[in-house]
Amino acid sequence: MPVPSPSSRQSRPFITLGVVLVAWLLVPAVVKRFLRAALFEAQAPAAVTASRVRDLQEYWALRTRPANELIAAGKDTARALAGYELGVERLGLLEAENARLHALLSLPPPPGFRQEHARVVERDFSAWWQQLVIRKGADYGITVGAPVVFAGGVVGRVREVRATTSVVALLSDPSVSLAVVVVGPGDTRPDPRPVKYSGGDNPAFGPARGTLEFAPADITVTPGALPRLLTSGLGGVFPAGLPVGEVTRMEPSPDGLFQTGEVRLNPALATLEEVTVLVPEAPTALPAAP
Amino acid sequence: MSRSAIRAPQGVETRANGNHRLWAFYPLLAALLLTLAGGFAWQQLLRADLHGARERAQGQRRVLVPGPRGRILDRAGRVLAGNRPRFAVTLALDTLGPEFRAEFAAVKKNYHTPRESPPPTSAQLEQIARTAVVRRYLDQLETILGRATEFDAAGLQRHFSQQLLLPYLLMEDLTPAEYARLVEQLPANSPLQVFSAGVRDYPYGRLAAHALGSVGTDDSEADDDLPGDDLTTYRLRGTKGRDGLEKFFDDRLQGEAGFSIFRVSPAGYRLNPPLESRPPARGGDLMTSLDADLQLAAETALRINPDLAGAAVALDVRTGEVLVLASEPGYDLRDFSPRLSNATRDDIEARKAWANRAISASGTYSPGSTFKLLTAIAALRHGALDPDEPLGDPCDGSVLIGGKLFKCYNGKGHHGAVHLDEAIAKSCDVYFYQAGVKTTADNIAAEARRFHLDRPAGIELPGETHRMLIPDPAWKKRTQHEDWFQGDTANMAIGQGYVLETPLNMACFIASLARDEVWTQPTLLHRADAPAQHTERTGLTPAQRDALLAGMVGCTTVGTAAGTLNNPSLTNYIPGLSIAGKTGTAQIPGNKNAAWFVCFAPAENPQIAIAVMIEGDTAGEEVGGGRYAAPVAQAILKEWVKNQPKLNTPAPVSPSTLSLPALPSLTR
Repeated sequence: MPVPSPSSRQSRPFITLGVVLVAWLLVPAVVKRFLRAALFEAQAPAAVTASRVRDLQEYWALRTRPANELIAAGKDTARALAGYELGVERLGLLEAENARLHALLSLPPPPGFRQEHARVVERDFSAWWQQLVIRKGADYGITVGAPVVFAGGVVGRVREVRATTSVVALLSDPSVSLAVVVVGPGDTRPDPRPVKYSGGDNPAFGPARGTLEFAPADITVTPGALPRLLTSGLGGVFPAGLPVGEVTRMEPSPDGLFQTGEVRLNPALATLEEVTVLVPEAPTALPAAP
Repeated sequence: MSRSAIRAPQGVETRANGNHRLWAFYPLLAALLLTLAGGFAWQQLLRADLHGARERAQGQRRVLVPGPRGRILDRAGRVLAGNRPRFAVTLALDTLGPEFRAEFAAVKKNYHTPRESPPPTSAQLEQIARTAVVRRYLDQLETILGRATEFDAAGLQRHFSQQLLLPYLLMEDLTPAEYARLVEQLPANSPLQVFSAGVRDYPYGRLAAHALGSVGTDDSEADDDLPGDDLTTYRLRGTKGRDGLEKFFDDRLQGEAGFSIFRVSPAGYRLNPPLESRPPARGGDLMTSLDADLQLAAETALRINPDLAGAAVALDVRTGEVLVLASEPGYDLRDFSPRLSNATRDDIEARKAWANRAISASGTYSPGSTFKLLTAIAALRHGALDPDEPLGDPCDGSVLIGGKLFKCYNGKGHHGAVHLDEAIAKSCDVYFYQAGVKTTADNIAAEARRFHLDRPAGIELPGETHRMLIPDPAWKKRTQHEDWFQGDTANMAIGQGYVLETPLNMACFIASLARDEVWTQPTLLHRADAPAQHTERTGLTPAQRDALLAGMVGCTTVGTAAGTLNNPSLTNYIPGLSIAGKTGTAQIPGNKNAAWFVCFAPAENPQIAIAVMIEGDTAGEEVGGGRYAAPVAQAILKEWVKNQPKLNTPAPVSPSTLSLPALPSLTR
């Protein structure tokens, strides 16, 4: 049997790599998509398991707390719950009034949402992606493009749905855009003109920021009294009135027609444990994926 | 076999010392190599710049984006003409190369099945593919916005072949709600982009439309000093001032264009990012001397009689700044943005609303009795009048001049023996016929020229007419080959006959008179530190000037304008403000009338001067200056006094007899 020369032995890995690359290029796109999805689905149980282990760790950490502390926390929770129950009652009345006014004006009802609460499995804050992976996916009827919120306001939009997990593009991701309205300091009502908010180019470990585009030239920013941004409700994706962030800086565009601004987002976005996906009740009204 | 030849084992013949016969080829080979090297050097070293320029011209494109126009402000900084964003959705055709190719392949494949008709050519297939791709994006838009729009397939092909690098407009005039839907529902990397451009915005609508002027599309291929002027350039359409201030100050208002230079593929598709770019910048602002409040008051008052055309001009007496320049009928500048419809254009033409009657040829009229002020000044300076003595024959309704009977058209005649002040207040024609004849036509004309009434005022607006006319005997001989008669002088003395003036010129005249000077240079530009104008004095003695002003004040208190200015029952009645004015009603060709009123106020310390002209278009209708024109001036003054907290107005006077009011500064 002929012995291969040293040069042919050295070049064998490169040849193999080339063959594999050529083979991969020749593989049909359908197969590639299937392999990619299969890879993610195969990874998902590991991530979910890791998050459940973390939950377990937290559970046992809580078990170590003194009983008195837990009792006090329980009392606080009960008080908060009572307040929330009152709020829910008032909300119900307002919803009924809102529906009555809509009927009076023959307006179409605002889009309805089903709420799906989900635990955060992974966070990915890099220069490329600003996203979360949550522990619910197609198994809970979550849809691509669905808005995601938390107690502090908007989180982002669902970018990708898998069998048991979903990827959520955060507000700080450059692919996320919202139509927002500006509430001046001291104002109770927002300026009705919609303004474009987009995620910015965020550093991997820096505070999350976004940008404001096509803002009217008459909006001003005073240090210590920053205008707030709320969802406008006009875009057809997010309900109105959800906090988005604060405008920290505005600069007039060279043509003088608009301003561009810098938006400071809620720092809690970086440490989220639980989010709520607002799944549209009308599946035909699904918006585009970010 | 040669001695030097060595037979190799495998049958290859070699020669140790070479073959001398081959030497002949070496110089040839060397020459060829040298030629090749020289060619390379020639092309790569000496012609590198040329090839670089060719590569640049072939592989790079420049896109020019016009800058927004500067704003036009009133004297208080309020925006009369600004810019507003106009949102549209555009499609970046130059990024769709792969999609067009894929669609082309799909369409071509479909046509492979045998058909009866011949298959489309390759160019037709390309058009079909482009249309299909763009139609898909339009469908996506229509789904998001819930409204349909027309698709111009021919326009798409034209845009593709001529302006590939410019965004292709799919939908325009988006509402805020539509804009919001697109922001949230269009993917970030979509070739569909929300595009914003500035269009002219007029917060006050039709206010000062003639003065501001309109803008139109600028299709000119103007030279620019931006980088890349040697490249194939695509220009987004800019705007250009068509008339009014927009045209006169077009260079100042014009924005600074921005540019982007892109590298393109051999097929012409853009390769991002741009190699070089600079954003456009807004043009300079123009602060005018107009006062939006006064302008609005003037235009509202002019529209009280919507069938009557007219104009009003108000000047700051001290500086000559134009506070009001109104002309009716007018038009709404918002109808011009983004473009004027044919129906609106036809309507404006039908109403004859294009003309700026304050300055244009359409606004030249005989000034009527307002010209008597000029006649009085000429007569006083030439000793033809003594303010303390009645002049010639008393007014019994007519006077014989040059063998012709000239009637007194004001007050139904019978003014009797009057002094200058009363003659002005009551506008006695008989008095001024005689004053004119005594002064002579040449002296009146010379005086009018001294007041610059024979030439344009030189305001910063295009279209100011040169047709104002101050006649004299020489002019009549030259142009009409006729002698000048005394009757011509009589007519001229009361502002009739050949005399023609614009409202702007009459406003300048009355402002000059208010300062006791002969000329006011009007300006539409406001300066906070504008110096006071000073020109040649009128040359009247204090007594003569006082008599003149007493007559003008009498005009508004007991004379021809008293009913409309000094009547407390009127809405615009201004208690305490002394107004020095003069009415006029002139006959104009076509059996029409022009009603005039000129004035300044306060009479004792003039600050604002006004000229109003209302054109009566009903044959035979008597349109009196006091009845129609004076109320317009009154409305302007009513608005003006609101911003004059320190105005020292004397107590109202309401003389019951012909004795004229005594002003604090006047001695008579």
